[in-house]
Amino acid sequence: MGAQVLTVIIDGLLLGLIYAGIGLGLSLILGVMGVVNVAHSAFIMLGSYFAYELFRRAGIDPIISAALALPVFFLLGSVVYRTLITRVEFTGPTQGLIAMFGLMVLIENLGVIVWTTDARALTTHYTNTSFAIGPAVVAWVKVLAGGLALALIGAAWVFLHYTLTGRAIRAIGQDRDAAAVLGINVHQLLTILFGLGIACAGVAGVLLGMIYPFSPGGQVFWLAWAFLVVVLGGLGSVANTLVAGLVVGIIQTFAGAFVPFEFVYLILYTLLAVILIVRREGLTSVARRSI
Amino acid sequence: MTISAPQLQIKGAVAGYTPAQQILKGVDIAAAPGKITVVLGPNGTGKSTLLKLVAGFVKASEGDVLLNGKNLNALPVHERLGEGIGLLPQGRSAFPDLTVEENIELGGWSLRSDRKRLREAVEAMFVRYPHLEKLRDRRAGTLSGGQQRAVEIARMLVSNPSVLLIDEPSVGLSPIVATQVYKELVELRDEGRTILLVDQDVRAAIKISDYVYVLTSGKNDIQGDRTAFEGDLGSIVRGWLGV
Repeated sequence: MGAQVLTVIIDGLLLGLIYAGIGLGLSLILGVMGVVNVAHSAFIMLGSYFAYELFRRAGIDPIISAALALPVFFLLGSVVYRTLITRVEFTGPTQGLIAMFGLMVLIENLGVIVWTTDARALTTHYTNTSFAIGPAVVAWVKVLAGGLALALIGAAWVFLHYTLTGRAIRAIGQDRDAAAVLGINVHQLLTILFGLGIACAGVAGVLLGMIYPFSPGGQVFWLAWAFLVVVLGGLGSVANTLVAGLVVGIIQTFAGAFVPFEFVYLILYTLLAVILIVRREGLTSVARRSI
Repeated sequence: MTISAPQLQIKGAVAGYTPAQQILKGVDIAAAPGKITVVLGPNGTGKSTLLKLVAGFVKASEGDVLLNGKNLNALPVHERLGEGIGLLPQGRSAFPDLTVEENIELGGWSLRSDRKRLREAVEAMFVRYPHLEKLRDRRAGTLSGGQQRAVEIARMLVSNPSVLLIDEPSVGLSPIVATQVYKELVELRDEGRTILLVDQDVRAAIKISDYVYVLTSGKNDIQGDRTAFEGDLGSIVRGWLGV
């Protein structure tokens, strides 16, 4: 029993780090820009296939792919911002939501055309290996993916809090006009922010692909997961997103270990509903859009 | 420190938030270098819109914004500081989740390529406003209204703008703090800066003004130097109220 509990805790923390990675990009974009990026999970899916193709065609390890995904998806996000978001940013939330939904459907269907609806998996030499921590057994792939997710979250934190550009992005999230008056090119920095958000989605996709099978249609599941983390954590805080991811990871693994599988999602979404009713701002104590 | 300030002119400005609803209907304003030019008028007459026009948030459908004769109409908001135009917006505009130092540092965004110069400019603000020194690491959102206003003024001054657009500087402040803010505006004027001040506090604004414009329904009404207005405040305000 003790070994199982320890395994569940470690598993939950590692998965939680990845879930935090899933929610991070969504949280940043929503927190600073107010754009509900429902296409977030489509980019997560693309991240999984990005690693899959690099592995299949060139034998590139997913760990390397995670690093490569950063600039590639950053560029992709920047292009999406410049070509799509700037057209809907000030047209009201409905148009923005519809545009992002359209983008999600487009990416998913392109995924079906290119990769079919069959599920794929990234199977490397360490996929099915594990090691022991005391009585607990831990999968190497989860340690690697969790570590990369932690590095991603840490890098985002450092960028947003310890660089002038990151602080300027946070300032835009708090008062866009006041930031512009200071000479800050808001569109330029929002291009960086959106690129960063999509880069987070792409890297998270690689990490998820290391652990779970993936298919174009399966991406919507991760959208719900990302929103779960964001709602739990409150909008736009890197630290709170991390905490929320860990909470979701722990609850999921505990529920998965000790109650029938069909109750796992019931428990998680009941928790979400309770938090929304009792504490609408999420786990944080302050309801506001800021990072 | 003496600033060589430019003249700011607004000529025949027609502007608003929608093409069908123009707030400014042909306004002419000239803000002289090194002077405080005050724009007064009843609510909804376009005073704040005038500052937003100069700051670049509102586009003129007719007329021009000129700085020493250079037309600024096509210049985006973030490039106007490069021309020396700083704005102190109405209400709270300090970034609440950033510290005082981070707020002030962002005021020097245009200096970011020269980190040493940026640091010096930030530290100069803590010398100028020593009471902010002990608040350096406090989040701006936790400060009092007066302290936040000081942060906003310091943030505006880091890049040393020569033209200051000041929108209702005393709103939400205690009378004592408001007096300090007006005193600071006089000091900024004495440094040679061009100041365009929009205010509801008629008495305080006229007291520090060099020249006064009164707008009514988005148009120029009356104008003159301070002495022309000082003795006749009551009739001005009664005129706005229509009594």
